[in-house]
Amino acid sequence: MLRLHEVEAGYGSAQVLFGVSFAIEAGACVSLMGRNGMGKTTTVRTIMGQLPLRGGSIDRFGDATPGRESFELARAGIGLVPEGRQIFSNLTVVENLSTFHRPARDGETLWTMDTVLDLFPRLRERLGHAGNNLSGGEQQMLAIGRALMTNPRLLILDEATEGLAPIIRQQIWDCLAMLKAAGQSILVIDKNIGALARLADHHCILEKGRVVWQGDSAALRADPQLTSRYLGV
Amino acid sequence: MDALRIFLDGANRNRTLFVLLVGFALFPIYTGIADLPFWNDLAMRIMLLGLAAMGLNLVLGYGGMVSFGHAAFVGVGAYCVGISQYYGLFNGWIHILMALGACGALGLVIGYLALRTSGIYFIMITLAFAQMLFFLFVSLEQFGGDDGMSIDRAEFIIIDLWEPLRLYYLIWAALALSSVLLMFIVRSRFGVVLQAIRSNESRVEAMGLAPLPFKITGYVISAMICGLAGALFASWQEYVSPDIMHWTRSGELMIIIILGGLGTLSGPLLGAVVFLLLEEILPEVMHVVAPSYAENWMIVFGPILIAVVLFARGGLMGLVHQMTGRRR
Repeated sequence: MLRLHEVEAGYGSAQVLFGVSFAIEAGACVSLMGRNGMGKTTTVRTIMGQLPLRGGSIDRFGDATPGRESFELARAGIGLVPEGRQIFSNLTVVENLSTFHRPARDGETLWTMDTVLDLFPRLRERLGHAGNNLSGGEQQMLAIGRALMTNPRLLILDEATEGLAPIIRQQIWDCLAMLKAAGQSILVIDKNIGALARLADHHCILEKGRVVWQGDSAALRADPQLTSRYLGV
Repeated sequence: MDALRIFLDGANRNRTLFVLLVGFALFPIYTGIADLPFWNDLAMRIMLLGLAAMGLNLVLGYGGMVSFGHAAFVGVGAYCVGISQYYGLFNGWIHILMALGACGALGLVIGYLALRTSGIYFIMITLAFAQMLFFLFVSLEQFGGDDGMSIDRAEFIIIDLWEPLRLYYLIWAALALSSVLLMFIVRSRFGVVLQAIRSNESRVEAMGLAPLPFKITGYVISAMICGLAGALFASWQEYVSPDIMHWTRSGELMIIIILGGLGTLSGPLLGAVVFLLLEEILPEVMHVVAPSYAENWMIVFGPILIAVVLFARGGLMGLVHQMTGRRR
Protein backbone atom coordinates (compact mmCIF):
# COMPACT_ATOMS: atom_id res chain seq x y z
CA MET A 1 0.00 0.00 0.00
CA LEU A 2 2.61 2.51 1.14
CA ARG A 3 6.34 1.87 1.30
CA LEU A 4 8.94 4.42 2.41
CA HIS A 5 12.55 3.59 1.69
CA GLU A 6 15.36 5.70 3.15
CA VAL A 7 13.29 8.85 2.75
CA GLU A 8 15.11 12.16 3.17
CA ALA A 9 13.34 15.52 3.25
CA GLY A 10 13.48 18.92 4.90
CA TYR A 11 12.79 22.61 4.72
CA GLY A 12 15.27 24.89 2.96
CA SER A 13 18.74 24.18 4.25
CA ALA A 14 17.42 22.25 7.26
CA GLN A 15 17.22 18.53 6.64
CA VAL A 16 14.66 16.88 8.88
CA LEU A 17 14.38 13.28 7.66
CA PHE A 18 17.59 11.25 7.35
CA GLY A 19 16.40 7.95 5.95
CA VAL A 20 12.93 6.97 7.12
CA SER A 21 11.80 3.49 6.12
CA PHE A 22 8.58 1.75 6.96
CA ALA A 23 5.65 0.19 5.17
CA ILE A 24 1.90 -0.13 5.50
CA GLU A 25 0.14 -3.19 4.12
CA ALA A 26 -3.45 -3.06 2.89
CA GLY A 27 -5.90 -3.08 5.78
CA ALA A 28 -3.20 -2.44 8.36
CA CYS A 29 -3.04 0.30 10.94
CA VAL A 30 0.42 1.71 11.58
CA SER A 31 1.37 4.34 14.13
CA LEU A 32 4.13 6.88 13.93
CA MET A 33 5.44 8.06 17.29
CA GLY A 34 8.13 10.37 18.54
CA ARG A 35 8.71 13.57 20.45
CA ASN A 36 8.03 16.97 19.00
CA GLY A 37 10.40 17.95 16.23
CA MET A 38 11.48 14.41 15.35
CA GLY A 39 9.94 14.49 11.88
CA LYS A 40 6.46 12.99 12.16
CA THR A 41 4.60 15.76 10.36
CA THR A 42 7.48 16.17 7.91
CA THR A 43 7.12 12.47 7.06
CA VAL A 44 3.39 12.94 6.45
CA ARG A 45 3.94 16.03 4.32
CA THR A 46 6.52 14.17 2.24
CA ILE A 47 4.15 11.23 1.75
CA MET A 48 1.45 13.71 0.69
CA GLY A 49 3.76 15.38 -1.83
CA GLN A 50 3.66 18.70 -0.01
CA LEU A 51 7.43 18.54 0.54
CA PRO A 52 9.83 17.40 -2.15
CA LEU A 53 11.56 14.08 -1.71
CA ARG A 54 15.31 14.68 -1.38
CA GLY A 55 16.47 11.09 -1.15
CA GLY A 56 15.14 7.56 -1.03
CA SER A 57 11.80 6.58 -2.50
CA ILE A 58 8.12 6.39 -1.64
CA ASP A 59 5.99 3.73 -3.25
CA ARG A 60 2.31 4.67 -3.06
CA PHE A 61 -0.11 1.98 -4.24
CA GLY A 62 2.61 0.51 -6.47
CA ASP A 63 3.57 3.84 -8.01
CA ALA A 64 6.99 5.16 -6.98
CA THR A 65 7.22 8.04 -9.47
CA PRO A 66 8.85 10.96 -7.67
CA GLY A 67 7.55 14.52 -7.95
CA ARG A 68 3.83 13.77 -8.00
CA GLU A 69 1.65 16.77 -7.11
CA SER A 70 -0.31 16.44 -3.90
CA PHE A 71 -3.66 16.62 -5.71
CA GLU A 72 -2.61 13.62 -7.83
CA LEU A 73 -1.67 11.70 -4.69
CA ALA A 74 -4.98 12.59 -3.06
CA ARG A 75 -6.78 11.32 -6.16
CA ALA A 76 -4.68 8.16 -6.10
CA GLY A 77 -6.22 7.48 -2.69
CA ILE A 78 -4.42 9.22 0.16
CA GLY A 79 -6.76 10.98 2.56
CA LEU A 80 -5.01 13.26 5.02
CA VAL A 81 -6.51 14.59 8.23
CA PRO A 82 -3.97 17.33 8.85
CA GLU A 83 -2.53 18.58 12.10
CA GLY A 84 -4.64 21.46 13.37
CA ARG A 85 -7.67 20.16 11.42
CA GLN A 86 -7.57 22.95 8.80
CA ILE A 87 -11.30 23.12 8.27
CA PHE A 88 -12.37 25.52 5.54
CA SER A 89 -13.64 28.09 8.00
CA ASN A 90 -15.64 30.08 5.43
CA LEU A 91 -17.56 27.03 4.18
CA THR A 92 -20.46 25.33 5.89
CA VAL A 93 -20.27 21.77 7.19
CA VAL A 94 -22.18 20.53 4.13
CA GLU A 95 -19.87 22.37 1.77
CA ASN A 96 -16.77 21.12 3.59
CA LEU A 97 -17.99 17.57 3.07
CA SER A 98 -19.77 17.52 -0.28
CA THR A 99 -17.29 19.61 -2.27
CA PHE A 100 -14.56 17.01 -2.09
CA HIS A 101 -16.62 13.86 -2.44
CA ARG A 102 -15.05 11.35 -4.75
CA PRO A 103 -16.21 7.80 -5.42
CA ALA A 104 -13.78 4.99 -4.68
CA ARG A 105 -11.29 4.22 -7.44
CA ASP A 106 -11.85 0.51 -7.08
CA GLY A 107 -14.44 -1.51 -5.25
CA GLU A 108 -17.51 -0.05 -3.65
CA THR A 109 -17.93 3.55 -2.61
CA LEU A 110 -18.27 3.22 1.13
CA TRP A 111 -18.40 6.90 2.07
CA THR A 112 -21.13 9.27 1.00
CA MET A 113 -22.68 12.23 2.78
CA ASP A 114 -25.12 9.87 4.48
CA THR A 115 -22.62 7.33 5.75
CA VAL A 116 -20.25 10.04 6.99
CA LEU A 117 -23.10 11.74 8.87
CA ASP A 118 -24.11 8.37 10.31
CA LEU A 119 -20.55 8.02 11.59
CA PHE A 120 -20.66 11.51 13.14
CA PRO A 121 -24.29 12.27 14.08
CA ARG A 122 -23.10 15.47 15.76
CA LEU A 123 -22.31 16.93 12.35
CA ARG A 124 -25.82 16.25 11.12
CA GLU A 125 -27.09 18.85 13.60
CA ARG A 126 -24.55 21.40 12.36
CA LEU A 127 -24.94 21.06 8.58
CA GLY A 128 -25.58 24.74 7.86
CA HIS A 129 -23.00 26.10 10.30
CA ALA A 130 -19.79 27.67 9.08
CA GLY A 131 -16.63 25.72 9.81
CA ASN A 132 -15.39 28.32 12.28
CA ASN A 133 -18.59 28.04 14.34
CA LEU A 134 -17.83 24.47 15.40
CA SER A 135 -16.23 23.24 18.60
CA GLY A 136 -12.79 21.66 18.39
CA GLY A 137 -14.24 18.17 18.59
CA GLU A 138 -16.78 18.87 15.87
CA GLN A 139 -14.05 20.35 13.69
CA GLN A 140 -12.01 17.18 14.16
CA MET A 141 -14.98 15.03 13.21
CA LEU A 142 -15.48 17.23 10.17
CA ALA A 143 -11.80 16.92 9.22
CA ILE A 144 -12.03 13.12 9.42
CA GLY A 145 -15.36 13.09 7.60
CA ARG A 146 -13.99 15.34 4.89
CA ALA A 147 -11.07 12.97 4.34
CA LEU A 148 -13.39 9.95 4.26
CA MET A 149 -15.57 11.65 1.63
CA THR A 150 -12.71 11.11 -0.82
CA ASN A 151 -12.99 7.37 -0.17
CA PRO A 152 -9.27 7.07 0.50
CA ARG A 153 -7.37 3.83 0.22
CA LEU A 154 -5.03 5.08 2.93
CA LEU A 155 -6.18 7.38 5.70
CA ILE A 156 -3.49 9.45 7.44
CA LEU A 157 -4.27 11.18 10.72
CA ASP A 158 -1.81 13.72 12.10
CA GLU A 159 -2.48 14.41 15.80
CA ALA A 160 -6.19 13.82 15.44
CA THR A 161 -6.87 13.89 19.18
CA GLU A 162 -4.68 16.84 20.09
CA GLY A 163 -6.35 19.51 22.19
CA LEU A 164 -9.65 17.69 22.60
CA ALA A 165 -11.61 16.89 25.76
CA PRO A 166 -11.07 13.31 27.00
CA ILE A 167 -14.61 12.23 26.12
CA ILE A 168 -14.27 13.53 22.56
CA ARG A 169 -10.87 11.87 22.28
CA GLN A 170 -12.42 8.58 23.19
CA GLN A 171 -15.06 9.07 20.49
CA ILE A 172 -12.32 9.67 17.92
CA TRP A 173 -10.44 6.54 19.03
CA ASP A 174 -13.63 4.48 18.87
CA CYS A 175 -14.29 5.83 15.41
CA LEU A 176 -10.78 4.88 14.25
CA ALA A 177 -11.22 1.39 15.67
CA MET A 178 -14.45 1.08 13.67
CA LEU A 179 -12.73 2.25 10.51
CA LYS A 180 -9.94 -0.24 11.03
CA ALA A 181 -12.40 -3.06 11.61
CA ALA A 182 -14.05 -2.07 8.32
CA GLY A 183 -10.74 -2.71 6.57
CA GLN A 184 -9.48 0.86 6.20
CA SER A 185 -5.69 1.20 5.97
CA ILE A 186 -4.56 3.83 8.44
CA LEU A 187 -1.39 5.72 9.34
CA VAL A 188 -1.90 7.45 12.65
CA ILE A 189 0.29 9.93 14.50
CA ASP A 190 -0.45 10.58 18.13
CA LYS A 191 1.08 11.05 21.56
CA ASN A 192 -1.26 8.69 23.43
CA ILE A 193 0.79 5.49 23.51
CA GLY A 194 -1.83 3.43 25.32
CA ALA A 195 -4.53 4.18 22.77
CA LEU A 196 -2.13 3.63 19.87
CA ALA A 197 -1.06 0.26 21.27
CA ARG A 198 -4.71 -0.80 21.38
CA LEU A 199 -5.49 0.47 17.88
CA ALA A 200 -2.45 -0.07 15.66
CA ASP A 201 -0.85 -3.35 14.59
CA HIS A 202 2.56 -1.93 13.95
CA HIS A 203 4.46 0.98 15.44
CA CYS A 204 7.37 3.11 14.28
CA ILE A 205 9.28 5.43 16.58
CA LEU A 206 11.01 8.41 15.01
CA GLU A 207 14.06 10.02 16.58
CA LYS A 208 15.91 12.84 14.86
CA GLY A 209 14.59 11.97 11.43
CA ARG A 210 15.20 8.23 11.59
CA VAL A 211 13.06 5.24 12.49
CA VAL A 212 14.83 3.94 15.59
CA TRP A 213 12.39 1.23 16.53
CA GLN A 214 9.63 -0.76 14.84
CA GLY A 215 7.47 -3.50 16.21
CA ASP A 216 4.01 -4.70 17.09
CA SER A 217 1.90 -3.71 20.05
CA ALA A 218 3.07 -6.63 22.19
CA ALA A 219 6.70 -5.64 21.71
CA LEU A 220 5.85 -2.00 22.46
CA ARG A 221 4.15 -2.92 25.71
CA ALA A 222 6.93 -5.37 26.64
CA ASP A 223 9.64 -2.74 26.64
CA PRO A 224 8.82 0.18 28.95
CA GLN A 225 12.31 1.54 28.31
CA LEU A 226 11.21 2.54 24.80
CA THR A 227 8.66 4.96 26.11
CA SER A 228 11.01 6.72 28.46
CA ARG A 229 13.91 6.79 26.02
CA TYR A 230 12.13 7.98 22.89
CA LEU A 231 8.76 9.32 23.88
CA GLY A 232 9.02 10.66 27.43
CA VAL A 233 9.10 14.36 27.97
CA MET B 1 -37.51 23.47 -9.95
CA ASP B 2 -34.21 22.98 -8.22
CA ALA B 3 -32.92 26.13 -9.86
CA LEU B 4 -36.00 28.02 -8.68
CA ARG B 5 -35.43 26.82 -5.11
CA ILE B 6 -31.78 27.91 -5.20
CA PHE B 7 -32.87 31.23 -6.68
CA LEU B 8 -35.43 31.92 -3.97
CA ASP B 9 -33.07 30.83 -1.24
CA GLY B 10 -30.33 33.01 -2.71
CA ALA B 11 -32.68 35.97 -3.00
CA ASN B 12 -33.56 35.51 0.64
CA ARG B 13 -29.90 35.38 1.67
CA ASN B 14 -29.03 38.44 -0.38
CA ARG B 15 -31.96 40.67 0.39
CA THR B 16 -29.86 43.81 0.19
CA LEU B 17 -28.93 43.01 -3.40
CA PHE B 18 -32.50 42.42 -4.48
CA VAL B 19 -33.77 45.46 -2.63
CA LEU B 20 -31.19 47.53 -4.50
CA LEU B 21 -32.11 45.93 -7.83
CA VAL B 22 -35.81 46.63 -7.30
CA GLY B 23 -34.89 50.14 -6.21
CA PHE B 24 -32.94 50.75 -9.41
CA ALA B 25 -35.80 49.33 -11.47
CA LEU B 26 -38.28 51.76 -9.92
CA PHE B 27 -35.95 54.76 -9.67
CA PRO B 28 -36.75 56.24 -13.14
CA ILE B 29 -40.43 56.44 -12.17
CA TYR B 30 -39.46 58.74 -9.31
CA THR B 31 -37.07 60.82 -11.39
CA GLY B 32 -39.71 61.02 -14.12
CA ILE B 33 -42.31 62.45 -11.74
CA ALA B 34 -39.82 64.72 -9.98
CA ASP B 35 -38.21 65.68 -13.29
CA LEU B 36 -34.63 64.94 -12.24
CA PRO B 37 -33.04 63.35 -15.33
CA PHE B 38 -29.56 63.99 -13.95
CA TRP B 39 -30.15 61.41 -11.24
CA ASN B 40 -30.91 58.77 -13.86
CA ASP B 41 -27.48 59.44 -15.22
CA LEU B 42 -25.92 58.98 -11.80
CA ALA B 43 -27.92 55.80 -11.24
CA MET B 44 -26.60 54.37 -14.52
CA ARG B 45 -23.04 55.21 -13.47
CA ILE B 46 -23.62 53.50 -10.13
CA MET B 47 -25.03 50.39 -11.80
CA LEU B 48 -22.12 50.21 -14.26
CA LEU B 49 -19.46 50.57 -11.56
CA GLY B 50 -21.40 48.16 -9.38
CA LEU B 51 -21.45 45.63 -12.21
CA ALA B 52 -17.70 45.91 -12.75
CA ALA B 53 -17.09 45.67 -9.00
CA MET B 54 -19.27 42.55 -8.86
CA GLY B 55 -17.10 41.01 -11.54
CA LEU B 56 -13.91 41.84 -9.68
CA ASN B 57 -15.45 40.61 -6.42
CA LEU B 58 -15.62 37.07 -7.79
CA VAL B 59 -11.82 36.86 -7.77
CA LEU B 60 -11.05 39.41 -5.05
CA GLY B 61 -13.72 38.55 -2.51
CA TYR B 62 -14.61 34.95 -3.23
CA GLY B 63 -11.33 33.67 -4.65
CA GLY B 64 -8.98 35.78 -2.51
CA MET B 65 -6.98 36.81 -5.59
CA VAL B 66 -6.01 40.47 -5.29
CA SER B 67 -6.14 41.54 -8.92
CA PHE B 68 -5.01 45.12 -9.26
CA GLY B 69 -5.72 45.48 -12.95
CA HIS B 70 -9.38 44.85 -13.55
CA ALA B 71 -10.04 48.32 -14.97
CA ALA B 72 -8.12 47.05 -18.01
CA PHE B 73 -10.98 44.65 -18.76
CA VAL B 74 -13.53 47.43 -18.37
CA GLY B 75 -11.42 49.46 -20.81
CA VAL B 76 -11.06 46.66 -23.32
CA GLY B 77 -14.82 46.14 -23.20
CA ALA B 78 -15.37 49.83 -23.87
CA TYR B 79 -12.82 49.94 -26.68
CA CYS B 80 -14.52 46.93 -28.29
CA VAL B 81 -17.47 49.25 -28.87
CA GLY B 82 -15.33 52.18 -30.02
CA ILE B 83 -13.17 50.16 -32.40
CA SER B 84 -16.14 48.27 -33.89
CA GLN B 85 -17.85 51.57 -34.59
CA TYR B 86 -14.64 52.90 -36.13
CA TYR B 87 -14.91 50.05 -38.62
CA GLY B 88 -18.61 50.70 -39.19
CA LEU B 89 -20.10 48.02 -36.99
CA PHE B 90 -22.97 49.50 -35.01
CA ASN B 91 -24.90 46.51 -33.73
CA GLY B 92 -24.84 46.65 -29.93
CA TRP B 93 -25.37 42.92 -29.48
CA ILE B 94 -22.25 42.28 -31.52
CA HIS B 95 -20.36 44.85 -29.43
CA ILE B 96 -21.32 43.02 -26.28
CA LEU B 97 -20.36 39.65 -27.74
CA MET B 98 -17.03 41.08 -28.82
CA ALA B 99 -16.41 42.60 -25.40
CA LEU B 100 -17.22 39.28 -23.73
CA GLY B 101 -15.01 37.38 -26.17
CA ALA B 102 -12.08 39.77 -26.02
CA CYS B 103 -12.13 40.04 -22.23
CA GLY B 104 -12.58 36.29 -21.85
CA ALA B 105 -9.56 35.59 -24.07
CA LEU B 106 -7.49 38.30 -22.43
CA GLY B 107 -8.52 37.07 -18.98
CA LEU B 108 -7.44 33.57 -19.94
CA VAL B 109 -3.98 34.71 -21.05
CA ILE B 110 -3.39 37.13 -18.15
CA GLY B 111 -4.89 34.71 -15.66
CA TYR B 112 -2.84 31.79 -16.95
CA LEU B 113 0.37 33.78 -16.59
CA ALA B 114 -0.39 35.79 -13.45
CA LEU B 115 -1.98 33.00 -11.41
CA ARG B 116 1.31 31.15 -11.34
CA THR B 117 2.28 33.65 -8.70
CA SER B 118 0.49 34.70 -5.55
CA GLY B 119 0.47 37.41 -2.92
CA ILE B 120 2.33 40.61 -3.72
CA TYR B 121 3.71 39.18 -6.98
CA PHE B 122 0.22 38.51 -8.27
CA ILE B 123 -0.81 42.09 -7.42
CA MET B 124 2.21 43.49 -9.26
CA ILE B 125 1.80 41.27 -12.33
CA THR B 126 -1.88 42.07 -12.77
CA LEU B 127 -1.02 45.76 -12.38
CA ALA B 128 1.76 45.38 -14.95
CA PHE B 129 -0.58 43.80 -17.51
CA ALA B 130 -3.13 46.54 -16.93
CA GLN B 131 -0.47 49.21 -17.43
CA MET B 132 0.67 47.53 -20.65
CA LEU B 133 -2.87 47.66 -21.99
CA PHE B 134 -3.27 51.24 -20.79
CA PHE B 135 -0.19 52.39 -22.71
CA LEU B 136 -1.15 50.27 -25.70
CA PHE B 137 -4.36 52.27 -26.06
CA VAL B 138 -2.54 55.54 -25.33
CA SER B 139 -0.25 54.77 -28.24
CA LEU B 140 -3.03 53.81 -30.69
CA GLU B 141 -3.32 57.17 -32.45
CA GLN B 142 -5.82 55.69 -34.89
CA PHE B 143 -8.31 55.31 -32.06
CA GLY B 144 -7.68 58.70 -30.53
CA GLY B 145 -4.65 57.80 -28.41
CA ASP B 146 -4.57 59.81 -25.23
CA ASP B 147 -7.60 61.87 -26.20
CA GLY B 148 -9.87 58.90 -26.67
CA MET B 149 -12.63 58.53 -29.22
CA SER B 150 -16.26 59.49 -29.22
CA ILE B 151 -18.88 56.82 -29.54
CA ASP B 152 -22.44 56.70 -30.80
CA ARG B 153 -24.93 54.89 -28.70
CA ALA B 154 -25.04 51.45 -30.24
CA GLU B 155 -28.05 50.08 -32.08
CA PHE B 156 -29.66 47.18 -30.35
CA ILE B 157 -32.03 46.17 -33.15
CA ILE B 158 -35.05 45.91 -30.90
CA ILE B 159 -33.84 48.49 -28.41
CA ASP B 160 -33.01 51.94 -29.76
CA LEU B 161 -30.70 53.47 -27.20
CA TRP B 162 -31.40 57.08 -28.12
CA GLU B 163 -34.43 56.79 -25.94
CA PRO B 164 -32.60 57.46 -22.62
CA LEU B 165 -34.65 55.10 -20.46
CA ARG B 166 -33.92 52.18 -22.78
CA LEU B 167 -30.21 52.43 -22.07
CA TYR B 168 -31.07 52.65 -18.39
CA TYR B 169 -33.02 49.42 -18.49
CA LEU B 170 -30.46 47.69 -20.67
CA ILE B 171 -27.84 48.43 -18.03
CA TRP B 172 -30.26 47.35 -15.33
CA ALA B 173 -30.93 44.07 -17.13
CA ALA B 174 -27.20 43.39 -17.48
CA LEU B 175 -26.75 44.08 -13.78
CA ALA B 176 -29.69 41.93 -12.75
CA LEU B 177 -28.66 39.04 -15.01
CA SER B 178 -25.08 39.16 -13.80
CA SER B 179 -26.26 39.26 -10.19
CA VAL B 180 -28.36 36.14 -10.65
CA LEU B 181 -25.58 34.44 -12.60
CA LEU B 182 -23.06 35.22 -9.85
CA MET B 183 -25.53 34.03 -7.24
CA PHE B 184 -25.66 30.63 -8.93
CA ILE B 185 -21.90 30.59 -9.50
CA VAL B 186 -20.90 31.23 -5.90
CA ARG B 187 -23.28 28.55 -4.68
CA SER B 188 -22.19 25.97 -7.25
CA ARG B 189 -19.47 23.47 -6.50
CA PHE B 190 -17.12 25.61 -8.58
CA GLY B 191 -17.87 28.64 -6.41
CA VAL B 192 -17.46 26.68 -3.20
CA VAL B 193 -14.07 25.37 -4.34
CA LEU B 194 -13.07 28.94 -5.18
CA GLN B 195 -13.94 30.01 -1.64
CA ALA B 196 -12.12 26.99 -0.22
CA ILE B 197 -9.04 28.08 -2.17
CA ARG B 198 -9.24 31.51 -0.54
CA SER B 199 -9.41 29.86 2.86
CA ASN B 200 -6.60 27.32 2.37
CA GLU B 201 -5.21 26.60 -1.05
CA SER B 202 -2.79 23.82 -0.12
CA ARG B 203 -5.60 22.01 1.71
CA VAL B 204 -7.73 22.07 -1.44
CA GLU B 205 -4.83 20.51 -3.26
CA ALA B 206 -4.40 17.86 -0.57
CA MET B 207 -8.11 17.05 -1.01
CA GLY B 208 -7.40 16.10 -4.61
CA LEU B 209 -8.29 19.22 -6.61
CA ALA B 210 -5.77 21.23 -8.61
CA PRO B 211 -6.49 24.87 -7.70
CA LEU B 212 -5.15 26.52 -10.87
CA PRO B 213 -8.00 25.60 -13.28
CA PHE B 214 -10.56 26.86 -10.77
CA LYS B 215 -8.69 30.13 -10.27
CA ILE B 216 -8.26 30.70 -14.01
CA THR B 217 -11.93 29.99 -14.68
CA GLY B 218 -12.93 32.44 -11.97
CA TYR B 219 -10.56 35.02 -13.40
CA VAL B 220 -12.01 34.63 -16.90
CA ILE B 221 -15.63 34.96 -15.71
CA SER B 222 -14.67 38.01 -13.70
CA ALA B 223 -12.89 39.60 -16.68
CA MET B 224 -15.95 38.97 -18.90
CA ILE B 225 -18.32 40.66 -16.45
CA CYS B 226 -15.98 43.67 -16.31
CA GLY B 227 -15.89 43.65 -20.13
CA LEU B 228 -19.70 43.71 -20.25
CA ALA B 229 -19.70 46.67 -17.85
CA GLY B 230 -17.13 48.38 -20.07
CA ALA B 231 -19.14 47.90 -23.27
CA LEU B 232 -22.22 49.42 -21.66
CA PHE B 233 -20.10 52.15 -20.10
CA ALA B 234 -18.96 53.20 -23.56
CA SER B 235 -22.57 53.52 -24.75
CA TRP B 236 -23.51 55.46 -21.62
CA GLN B 237 -20.56 57.85 -21.77
CA GLU B 238 -20.63 58.12 -25.60
CA TYR B 239 -16.90 58.40 -25.33
CA VAL B 240 -13.95 56.21 -24.42
CA SER B 241 -10.38 57.09 -23.55
CA PRO B 242 -7.51 55.23 -21.90
CA ASP B 243 -8.45 57.00 -18.68
CA ILE B 244 -11.12 54.33 -18.15
CA MET B 245 -8.35 51.77 -17.65
CA HIS B 246 -6.00 53.89 -15.57
CA TRP B 247 -4.70 52.03 -12.52
CA THR B 248 -6.58 54.37 -10.19
CA ARG B 249 -9.79 52.99 -11.73
CA SER B 250 -8.73 49.50 -10.66
CA GLY B 251 -8.15 50.91 -7.20
CA GLU B 252 -11.58 52.54 -7.24
CA LEU B 253 -13.20 49.17 -7.98
CA MET B 254 -11.30 47.61 -5.09
CA ILE B 255 -12.32 50.42 -2.72
CA ILE B 256 -15.97 49.97 -3.76
CA ILE B 257 -15.80 46.26 -2.96
CA ILE B 258 -14.04 46.71 0.36
CA LEU B 259 -16.43 49.50 1.30
CA GLY B 260 -19.45 47.36 0.47
CA GLY B 261 -18.18 44.06 1.80
CA LEU B 262 -15.66 41.60 0.37
CA GLY B 263 -17.00 38.25 -0.72
CA THR B 264 -20.69 39.16 -0.50
CA LEU B 265 -23.06 39.36 -3.43
CA SER B 266 -24.66 42.60 -2.29
CA GLY B 267 -21.44 44.31 -1.22
CA PRO B 268 -20.14 45.63 -4.57
CA LEU B 269 -23.45 47.19 -5.57
CA LEU B 270 -24.06 48.68 -2.12
CA GLY B 271 -20.46 49.92 -2.16
CA ALA B 272 -20.97 51.56 -5.56
CA VAL B 273 -24.15 53.26 -4.34
CA VAL B 274 -22.48 54.70 -1.25
CA PHE B 275 -19.18 55.52 -2.98
CA LEU B 276 -20.72 57.46 -5.86
CA LEU B 277 -23.36 59.14 -3.72
CA LEU B 278 -20.65 60.35 -1.34
CA GLU B 279 -18.66 61.56 -4.33
CA GLU B 280 -21.73 63.50 -5.47
CA ILE B 281 -22.99 64.79 -2.15
CA LEU B 282 -19.81 65.56 -0.22
CA PRO B 283 -18.75 68.49 -2.43
CA GLU B 284 -22.22 69.98 -2.01
CA VAL B 285 -22.11 69.56 1.74
CA MET B 286 -18.61 71.01 1.90
CA HIS B 287 -19.83 73.92 -0.14
CA VAL B 288 -22.32 74.78 2.57
CA VAL B 289 -20.22 73.91 5.62
CA ALA B 290 -16.82 75.18 4.54
CA PRO B 291 -17.10 76.95 1.19
CA SER B 292 -13.39 77.70 0.88
CA TYR B 293 -12.57 74.00 1.18
CA ALA B 294 -15.29 72.71 -1.17
CA GLU B 295 -12.75 71.64 -3.74
CA ASN B 296 -10.98 69.52 -1.16
CA TRP B 297 -13.97 67.32 -0.34
CA MET B 298 -11.68 64.30 -0.58
CA ILE B 299 -10.22 65.31 2.79
CA VAL B 300 -13.51 64.13 4.26
CA PHE B 301 -14.06 61.29 1.79
CA GLY B 302 -10.77 59.54 2.64
CA PRO B 303 -11.31 59.36 6.40
CA ILE B 304 -14.86 58.07 5.87
CA LEU B 305 -13.52 55.19 3.79
CA ILE B 306 -10.80 54.49 6.35
CA ALA B 307 -13.36 54.54 9.17
CA VAL B 308 -15.50 51.96 7.38
CA VAL B 309 -12.53 49.69 6.83
CA LEU B 310 -11.36 50.07 10.43
CA PHE B 311 -14.63 49.89 12.30
CA ALA B 312 -17.03 47.94 10.12
CA ARG B 313 -15.65 44.44 9.78
CA GLY B 314 -16.89 43.10 6.48
CA GLY B 315 -17.65 46.58 5.12
CA LEU B 316 -21.16 47.99 4.91
CA MET B 317 -22.60 44.50 4.45
CA GLY B 318 -20.97 43.62 7.77
CA LEU B 319 -22.97 46.47 9.33
CA VAL B 320 -26.14 45.31 7.59
CA HIS B 321 -25.65 41.79 8.93
CA GLN B 322 -24.94 43.10 12.42
CA MET B 323 -28.14 45.10 12.37
CA THR B 324 -30.23 42.23 11.06
CA GLY B 325 -28.44 39.82 13.38
CA ARG B 326 -27.13 37.51 10.71
CA ARG B 327 -23.62 36.29 10.13
CA ARG B 328 -23.51 35.30 6.50
